[in-house]
This record gives sequence, C-alpha cells and structure tokens, in this order.
Amino acid sequence: MVFDIKGKFNSKLISSIGKPLERKEDERLLRGEGLFSDDFNLEGQYYVTFVRSPYPHAKIKNIDKSDAEKSPGVIAIFTGEDCLADNLHPIPHSPVPSTKYDLKLTDPEGKDIFIGPQLLLPVDKVRHVGEAVVMVIAKTNFEAQDAAEKVYVDYHELDWTADINSSLKEDSPKVWDEIKDNICVDTIFGNPEKVDKVFNSSKYLFSKEFHIGRVTGVPLEPRSALASYDSTSKRYLLYAGSNGAVRHKFQISKTLNIDPGSLRIICHDVGGNFGTKNRVYVEFPLVLWASKKTDNPIKYTATRSESFLSDVQGRDLLTKVELSMDEDYKFTAFRASNVSNVGARVISLSPLGKGIALVTGPYDIPLASARARAVFTNTVPTNAYRSSGRPEVTFAMERLIEIAAKSLGIDPIKLRRINLINKDDMPYRNALGVTYDSGKYEDNMNKALALSDLDNLSIRKEDASQRGKFLGFGFSNYVESSVGNPKESVELRVDADGFISLIVGTQPTGQGHETSFAQVAADLLGLAPEEIKVVFSDTDIVKKGGGSHSGRSMRHAGTVICLAAEDLIDRGKKLCSLLFDQNYQSISFAREGSFTWSDKKISWFELAEAIEGVELSGDLHTGLNIERENEMHEPVFPNGCAACEVEIDKETFVPKLTKYIAIDDVGRAINPLIVDGQTHGSIATGVGQALFETFYLDKASGQPLTGSLMDYGIPRADQLPSFVTELNEVLSPTNPLGIKSAGEGATTPALAAVINAVVNALEEFDIEHIDMPATSFNIWRSVNNKNKESKS
Amino acid sequence: MYAFEYFAPKNLQEATKAFNSFNDSKWLAGGMTLIPSMKLRMNAPSALIDLSSIEQLKGISIKNNILSIGAMTIHADVANSLDVINSLPALASLASGIGDPQVRNRGTIGGSIANNDPAADYPSAILGLKSKIITSKKEIDAGNFFNGFFSTSLDTDELIVKINFQIPESAIYLKFANPVSRYAIVGIFLSKYHDEVRVAVTGAASCVFRVNELEEGLFHDFCSSVVDKTDYGITNLNDDIHANSEYRRYLIKVMIKKAISILQKK
Repeated sequence: MVFDIKGKFNSKLISSIGKPLERKEDERLLRGEGLFSDDFNLEGQYYVTFVRSPYPHAKIKNIDKSDAEKSPGVIAIFTGEDCLADNLHPIPHSPVPSTKYDLKLTDPEGKDIFIGPQLLLPVDKVRHVGEAVVMVIAKTNFEAQDAAEKVYVDYHELDWTADINSSLKEDSPKVWDEIKDNICVDTIFGNPEKVDKVFNSSKYLFSKEFHIGRVTGVPLEPRSALASYDSTSKRYLLYAGSNGAVRHKFQISKTLNIDPGSLRIICHDVGGNFGTKNRVYVEFPLVLWASKKTDNPIKYTATRSESFLSDVQGRDLLTKVELSMDEDYKFTAFRASNVSNVGARVISLSPLGKGIALVTGPYDIPLASARARAVFTNTVPTNAYRSSGRPEVTFAMERLIEIAAKSLGIDPIKLRRINLINKDDMPYRNALGVTYDSGKYEDNMNKALALSDLDNLSIRKEDASQRGKFLGFGFSNYVESSVGNPKESVELRVDADGFISLIVGTQPTGQGHETSFAQVAADLLGLAPEEIKVVFSDTDIVKKGGGSHSGRSMRHAGTVICLAAEDLIDRGKKLCSLLFDQNYQSISFAREGSFTWSDKKISWFELAEAIEGVELSGDLHTGLNIERENEMHEPVFPNGCAACEVEIDKETFVPKLTKYIAIDDVGRAINPLIVDGQTHGSIATGVGQALFETFYLDKASGQPLTGSLMDYGIPRADQLPSFVTELNEVLSPTNPLGIKSAGEGATTPALAAVINAVVNALEEFDIEHIDMPATSFNIWRSVNNKNKESKS
Repeated sequence: MYAFEYFAPKNLQEATKAFNSFNDSKWLAGGMTLIPSMKLRMNAPSALIDLSSIEQLKGISIKNNILSIGAMTIHADVANSLDVINSLPALASLASGIGDPQVRNRGTIGGSIANNDPAADYPSAILGLKSKIITSKKEIDAGNFFNGFFSTSLDTDELIVKINFQIPESAIYLKFANPVSRYAIVGIFLSKYHDEVRVAVTGAASCVFRVNELEEGLFHDFCSSVVDKTDYGITNLNDDIHANSEYRRYLIKVMIKKAISILQKK
C-alpha cells in the first residue's frame, strides 16, 4: 500500500506531499500565542542568577558567600562543593557521533577521548569567561542579582590559551591537567603514504591554510528553564526549550542520579536553535536540583549577555589543504589537516568528524588522507552549528580550487567541471570511504550558471566600475551529509473527534514540523493535512525521539510515519473485520481515507466511534493507536551549489551582496515553501559568517569583545539581496520518501561563494585571499597591505 | 537594574528641585543610553528625573535665520519637521539616520548631546554648525560645549533647554556607519556660511572635533582637491575591532571629499 513492490514509497499516494502549503503554526506564532520557555511561570517561583567567571582561566581559591547570604530576599546560594556533596554527576555529553557510518575519532593513542568532565559547577578552576561558578537563588530576579554581586570568589589567575595555534604549542598553558597537552583528538584517515607518493610525482600541487573563525548562534529566544519538584509524587518537572526533550531527559536524570521516569520535560515552541540548544546546559539540572532542595519552583532565563558569554558556539577550524593535479587538470590526490577548537570541554566532535568525512567534497579524487585533531582552549565549547563541519571543509576546497585555477590561468568553473563526480557514478564512495547516496552535481552547477548570466558578467563589471564599485562573481559547489541520531519513534492515534494525532519524538525549533509531518501522514492515511494533529514537546507523552539536528527530522520522522501508517491501516482492516464480521482479505483501504467491503464504507473516524466501548483483546487491544520505532543509520548527502555577486565600494571598500543564487538537492521536498524559507535562513547564516560575524576575543585579556548585538554582526534584511532559489530534487534511495534534508544545505557553500566573489571583485589588486568576515575594514587592510607591498 | 526613585516633573523649577534632593540623581531624557546601561547594572542612579513631561523643553521654531530645537524634541520630530527639512535639510537627514524607528521615537537631541557619546551623530551637527546651547543656567557656545570622552561643560544639575542653530547656506551630514551597531565609525558634518566653512567629525575619536586647517582651505577654495593638499594632522583616532585608526583616518578623508562633491553639485 504505502510501498510499491521495490519497497519505495508509492508515488500514487501523493496528494499534499510536495505542495507549498502555508505553515499551520504561523498563525499561532504571529498572533503572539506561541508558548516559549520563559512564557511559563509557577506560583511563588524563585529566581536564579549565576555568578560567572570573569577570567578565561583561573584557580578557584575560595568562595565567600556570607555577605550575599544576608542580602534581602536570598533563599540559598550553592557552589560546586554543594553539588559534589549531593553526588551530582557531570553532564554525560556524548561528543562522538553515534551512527555506524560516522568516521571514528580517537585520542592521540587511538583510545577513548578525554572530554573534560563538565561538573554542574566547577570546584577546581574556571576554564572560560562566562562559566557559571555560583548559583544564587532569591525571591525576585533583582534580589538574586543584588546578592550575586556580594559573592566574593577568590581567583588565582592562570595563563590561558584561546586559539588553535597557541593551544597546539608544547609550552601552551594546559586547560586540563589530566592529559599531557591540549590535544584531545588525533586521528588519521585515508592513505597518507600513497598520497605522499602522488604528491611527489604530481604535475601540479597547490596548498593553502585557512581559518574558519568562531561564530555564535544568537537565537532570538535565550535559553530558559523553570523547574519544580513535587514531593508527593516525587517527580521533577522542567520547562526548557531544546531541540528534543527526550535526550535531555535521559542526560539530566543521569546528572541528578534519578530515574528518568521521574523527570518530565515540557518544551513547546523554541525560538531558534542553530545548534545552541542541542546540548544540556548546567542550568537545567541545577534548577531541578535546587527546586527540590528549596521545595519551591525555580526559574532561570538567560540574558542576551549571558547568551553571548555562555551559549555553545560554532565553527573555529584551522585547516591546511593540499591538492594535486595531472596535466589535464584532473585531481589526483588530496590531503587535509584539520584542527578543531573544541573550547574548554568536548561536548561535540560532530563539526570535526563530519567535516573530515567530506574533505574531498563533490569532486572525484581517487586518493585522500586527512588528519583530524581537536584542541582544548579557554573558550566556550563549540558544538554543531548550522551545517556542522561542512561549510568549513567546503570553504577550504572551493577556495583552493579558485586559487589553483587562477595560478593555472584557467576558468575555475571549468576546473570544477573536469573534476565533479559524475551522476552515473552514484552511489559514489569517496577516498575516505564515505558513500554518497545520490545526486546530479553537474546539473546543479549548470542550473546555477544558467541563472548567473555569466555572458554579461564583464558588462556588469564595467557598469559597476562606472558607478564606483568593484563587482565580483563567486561560486561554490557543495555536498553535505545528514546523519544524526539513528532512532526515531512515532505514535498514531485516531480520535473520534475527527483528528489523527501524530505524536513524534523530534522537536521543531522553527522548521514547521506541524505542517510537513501532517502532509506526509495525510497522504498515507487518505486525509487532509488539517485532520492530522502533530503532538510533541512533553516527555510524558513523547517517550522516544532523537531531536532536530543534522537535518534528520523530516527524513527520520517521514520514514517512521510511513511504517506506522502501514501498521495503522492494517489495524483498521483487522478492526473492520472483527466488528463487521468480514473476511480480512475482503476489506480494502481506499485513498479517501476509508475502509470498504462489498457496498459498505467506513471512515477512520466512524471506525474510531464504532470501537468505542468495545472490549478489544490481544494484538488489537490498543484499538486505533499504533506505536512504531525505527532505526536508520545510512546517511544521505544533500548537495547543490551557490553563485553570487558582490559589489565593493572603490573608496570605502564596503562590500554588498547584490545577487545570490542557490540550487539545492534536498531529495524529495515535502513542502517546498518551507524548504524555501529554510534555504533563505540557511543562506543568511552562511553569508553572515562570510561578511559580518566573528566572535572576537581580545588578544591581551581573552575577554570577548563581541558580547552584544552592538558588536556582533548578524546579517539584517537590508544587507541581503532577494535570493533566487531552486531545487534539484534527486530522490535518495536510502529511505521510502526519498528525503535528504533541507535547512543546512544552503549554508554550506555560502561562505566560499561569497569570499570567492569578494576576491574576484578585487582581482586588480591580485589578492589571493581575504579572511572572514570580509568587512570593509578587512578588505581595506588587505588592499592597503598589497599597495604597500607593491610600492616597496 | 538596581532600585531607584523616579520623578516626572512638569517644569524646570520642579525638575531642579527633585534633582538636587538626591545625592546621585540623573536626568532622564529619551533614555536610549541610560536605560540599557542601567539594565546592565553599569549605571546606578539613586533617582531618575524624567524630563518628558516638561513642555518647555520641546518644539521646533525658526526666527531670524535661527533654527531652535527644544532639548526634549525626539529625533523623529526633527527628521519630519518641515521647518527643519526646508531650512536645514542636513539636520533632518542626520536625525532620520539615528538608530532605528524605536530609538528615533524616544531619543532626544538634548539627551544625545548631553551624553556626548563619541559615536553619536548630533554632536557633529552642533560643532559643524554655528550653534548655541541654551541651558537652565546660561548660554554655551558650541565650541565650548564638548569637553572630551562622554563629557560636556554642563554642571551636573544644569539642563539643556534648547539648541539654536544659525542656518547655513548649505550643509551635509555623511555617515560611515558601523555595519553592526549603525553608530558612526566616521561621521562628517560639513557646512558653508558666507564667512566660514565648518567641518566636524564624529565617531572617529574620543570626542567630536573640528578640522580647522581644512576649514580654512575650503573657505578659500571649496573643492575636494584641497583635502589632499592640506596638511591637517589628525591624531589619537579610535582603534577597535571594527576599524583601526589608520582606516578611520582614511575614511575621514574619503567622506569629507564625498561631502564636498555632493555639496558642489547642489
């Protein structure tokens, strides 16, 4: 029914799948009826403020809370010692990606990685500016803040390290005394000896080092947590936004040493994530623990400043790439050495691991090797940030191709065309052993070029020059991967009131699941999307689920919905057979959502009514209610490209993105309107890093200099052009609906495409590379240095 | 935010009285700088004297070639005032480019110049035009008003009542905005009077300043080549993550030349 004979989704079922339906959730959200974490309040709740470290690295010698305890309204003040005394455990972060297909990272000896345990509050030393040290609970928020200022922490400042190069040095200050240096991961993939051999005899060899800098997610809604403990039922309740409350439930209960069943997490609407809300923060278990200790609900909401100081951050990769070619410009071998700045603790190695798997990108390179290292620094930990790891390696490859083409004097597009993986070679196993499921890479490029009007580029450059602007064209291909937590579950429940509830474990943080999941279920069950109610957000209802990350939700949910729908239809037939005394074989399920036999017909909802009050036994006892789980390890590889134009003012050197074209293969687009919106945001994320964003630490003090929106530049509408987006849907053979993923793809080539355009615009200055963000200041500096160079 | 007392007096006498009855009171104009800094607990006045109810401090008028703007006039009113648009369009344009619509509907000209943020727009108009600051105590000539980084010649209990601008033959304000905060990295206010040319620069140093050497040259020959020819040593420019002092020095030149060429075409 759902699947055809080849096990593929039966395309005859398609009705609302693929339609650009407006999002069900928008009206609620636009009317201000969203329910975000800070919207919840409990009567008599106390408030928490955290005393945070002002230093990048310091020993905690003493904490004097006696003055603070006398401050008006103070209820309790807790430190790391109190957490230890109550046997609270470190957060059980699982930084190594968990599917069978992820490349396995190890420590330098090939063993398990030392991750730097994250105690809820530190007892020995602080390891980054903004680390929470003391928890102050008071009756009001202001009283908590007043008291926090009276907590005296006696620090002994230590030497610190913030950037990759300094952390790699032998004499670098050490973030952790438990290991011999700051290098926590060092793993080599591929075949370094063979690559060396090819390099030594190659006609052409190009190499370059790039740093893809540190950025932060800046979700509109800062993280927030409201906790209470009910001493009668002995259950904990937490309101806290995340990308999936189920994983949070298990990790938080381990931290608190409690049975997961005794913790309920409610997470309704989430105002942005981008990776910042994927992980458990210390504040979540701390408010739960403290609410039990004080026998009162406790609330914490981060300020914008706290978000900047303590939200997990993104990127920060140093990469050296080398590429050899033969006389026909065919790529022969590739080597990458990547070092990820994981910050003070390893909470995710997804950026490093995912990037390493894709260092050869969409190009057919027979040989490759890659060294993956991670270093500790005295900075906020990094985590998967929109398109974890992939924009970094795409940047390195696509910049290197431009540099090589320029040096060879050939068209960079031609160089790409010679080396792109051919669609007939799909599935394609790359030189590091990663198999790309499907894709038509050259078609993507052709689509983008057709929209780019390159024939008239020189005329546009001339015209821009007349207007006082340098115009540059930039391009980048990409292939990325979508893996993520392999397990997902769903429950389908037919309610007599005319709805089917779809209870799903993955949590939207703005992706429109209520609409797109309903579209899938509606087609499978012969209903309209309005008749499907998507339920998530409460761990007492949603027991399993992997969360939204790594572009996994639509694919995993879509697949498990297919399986559950088939089960539900089967259950419906069995119930009809029982209730109406018919042979199972004689009952068929019709596309308009009803069961038929002879001249009889009954809808889902009539059937639900009919079984009300009927005693059902054995396999049928759950009636029209089906739970289904699925485990799916195989990754998919969304792909595409971006082409753009940038104009740079000849006098001030202010860059402006004037044109942006994105071609994306997301597999089957369940809702192209949602995909388009995701693509827009995804482009802005990438362009933001290319032109505006960097989390800047003062070189002398290690203090963040971009701690507010006055200094940290997220892109604004007036800084972006109207995007041209098109899909090139190539169905993935790995799952029934043929889904790859959307939402991260368009970020992936954006950094490279924009910087390629900036460098192209400055061709008359013969500048090889501009570091991100390409602000007018950075561009001016490069041009100025070049001018000085040529004068001397 | 720390706890504080709040007053909203109706006239200057009441205001001064309330102000002086506390040790560490502060005037509240639009609050566009003060309130955020209080929220960050970087500022802790014992009392706020809100000036928004004092009608005497608001309004725009023109008389004898003098444009008068009350201290509590919000940026949006200056930007949209036909009197300003017709007599001193550069000032209307400056006001229309401050912050965002929310800021322009709360922030005031008096608050801006009393705060003397080195990256604010208005101080450049005060210095770049012949203007007088009329206070609750005296009249201060523009040249004697700004004293340095966030500092003015106002006494702590002294209030700006209005600002009088002598209307020039022509003027222009050009801002090179910080792409993040939209404050001026370099802002140029250039004006031409029958007997004088003025060039004031904001955003570039610890305090707004005039480029006297250049003014002299431009008065004799109003043309952008004068900028290249004149030796107007500017030192002590700001150096931060958005622009170093060298880039600012470069931008000052670029923006002044641009301003001259636009005024020439008018």
